[in-house]
Amino acid sequence: MADQTLIRKQTTVEPATKPERTSWEEWRGEVTALTRRWFLQLVRERLNLLLSITQPAIWLLFFGSALGRAIDRDAIGTSNYVGFMLAGVIAFTVVTNTVTGAMPLLWDKETGYLDKLLSMPIARSSLIVSRFLFQFALGTAQVLLVFLVAVATAVDVASGPVGAIVILAAAGLLSMALTALSTALAYRVPSHGTFFAIMGFVTLPLVFLSNAFVPLDSMPPWMAIVARLNPLTYAIEAMRILVLDGWDGSVVRALAVLGLFAVASLAVGAYEFRRHTGERVR
Amino acid sequence: MTRVIDTESLTRAFGERLAVDHLDLHVDSGDIFGLLGPNGAGKTTTIRMLTTLLTPTSGTARVCGFDVSGQPGEVRRRIGYVMQSVPWQVNRLLKAREIVEIEAALHHVPRHTRRDLVDEALDLVGLLAHADRTIGEFSGGMHKRLDLACGLLHQPELLVLDEPTLGLDVQSRHRVWDYVVGLRDKGVTVLLATNYLDEADRLCNRLTIVDKGSSVVTGSPTELKRAVAADVVQVATAAPHRLQAAIAGEPWVKNTVLTESNELHIYVEDASVALPAVMRLSLAHDLRLERVAYTQPSLDDVFLLHTGRELRDLEVGA
Repeated sequence: MADQTLIRKQTTVEPATKPERTSWEEWRGEVTALTRRWFLQLVRERLNLLLSITQPAIWLLFFGSALGRAIDRDAIGTSNYVGFMLAGVIAFTVVTNTVTGAMPLLWDKETGYLDKLLSMPIARSSLIVSRFLFQFALGTAQVLLVFLVAVATAVDVASGPVGAIVILAAAGLLSMALTALSTALAYRVPSHGTFFAIMGFVTLPLVFLSNAFVPLDSMPPWMAIVARLNPLTYAIEAMRILVLDGWDGSVVRALAVLGLFAVASLAVGAYEFRRHTGERVR
Repeated sequence: MTRVIDTESLTRAFGERLAVDHLDLHVDSGDIFGLLGPNGAGKTTTIRMLTTLLTPTSGTARVCGFDVSGQPGEVRRRIGYVMQSVPWQVNRLLKAREIVEIEAALHHVPRHTRRDLVDEALDLVGLLAHADRTIGEFSGGMHKRLDLACGLLHQPELLVLDEPTLGLDVQSRHRVWDYVVGLRDKGVTVLLATNYLDEADRLCNRLTIVDKGSSVVTGSPTELKRAVAADVVQVATAAPHRLQAAIAGEPWVKNTVLTESNELHIYVEDASVALPAVMRLSLAHDLRLERVAYTQPSLDDVFLLHTGRELRDLEVGA
């Protein structure tokens, strides 16, 4: 670890000539190989696979049936509590994935496997892109399943099939943004202890200080203000309106905020990764 | 002969400490070049710079003709690197074949030759029969052989082996040695870092002894040993200092070193001359000898002569 701290401090020597670029085919091959590594690990852990994919659907059923009766329908503005919860559960799933999603990168870094990868002639970006693809695929499978469960338990997506696709895209965007941030954190922290401390500190407030389970209107004013600053709120807002009310101008606004957040997060993630590997991502 | 590794005053500082201190290394194509030294001598730091994982603080290093700081990508395309211990835990659920396939893809081995190369690499290290087992079930020796298989996939111009037999049982060590000998026969250039004298002696055609980040002496094992002396007389006595004083200045003495275990090593050209003389002088000075032996100098003697310390002791100490 001492070495890694020092890598960051040193000044990068300016290349004498322009460094050669990885060709498109090579890059595709690298990303495929690294993504394969993630998937092989997942499929070899059947229980992990099963629990990961079904967890959000089970959450929805649990919340939908157990809490649904205890909720004031006027407060949430709909009689369809499962429909209201759907966006919140999707967002909650994405947040959970984010924590677990950065963990393998953390292990690679701490065990020194990352060094082995960095000594190979691969583009730095393929390391990150492979993890993103994996997270994205896993997240999509989860969201699809939770969607199916929702539709089966009497949720009608007001915006129709196109809306459903937009909801998937919004979940993907949120996932990309949060994965970028957790990846940045994984590369930044001195060890996994700090990573989990920070993640534990941040994730629950992130979810509960948003409109995931409670509408902003029902919150105390200070809380509603905090929730308005929370990017999760915008992702949930977009998805929730699409489920309950259909197309609406505020969907576009919420998606735009989410998009900006994703771009900013990716920039932070790329910066931290570049810092850690001591070279430009290319 | 082309230079595969060429460093000039290569230096790496960690804070105040110089891990590598103005190191000059010249490795020619086809060499099995040894970096021999105790733990903490700067071997791994040197390797990390040569494999583009660490930027030098000062000095330059060219590997396969490319500057490690200026064109790290070109260097990476031409080297194979077998780390001291590849953390297999992160891949423990993968099968051996899958790991080699993934490595091959990351080294841009063309798809149509990949399958054959993967089989060939696994076969070379004797793991073909275990190719479909997950590596979590592997022993330490098998993990090392898997790493070695991965190092050669893309037919690198230079293979860097960092302590390839550290912590292995005798049988596994011999397998690794056979593998390196095989590389030598194929003409692959190898940089081999080790703190085992016998390993360096057996495998390397040239080596540099490193201590405290600097090169102490460089040459072929035979040259280095010959330079020490033809024979070494080792004497254990209760008063080694007195014996050292007694024989000082004798024409048959090339050099003497008192080891940390209080044994006197007398470097001579001919033990048959030296042994009777040692006996005679001991009797004359009334010194009781506990043990007298003579051997050919080993690389340990080379290290001892140049640093005043024994590599063997350092190993035990570490």
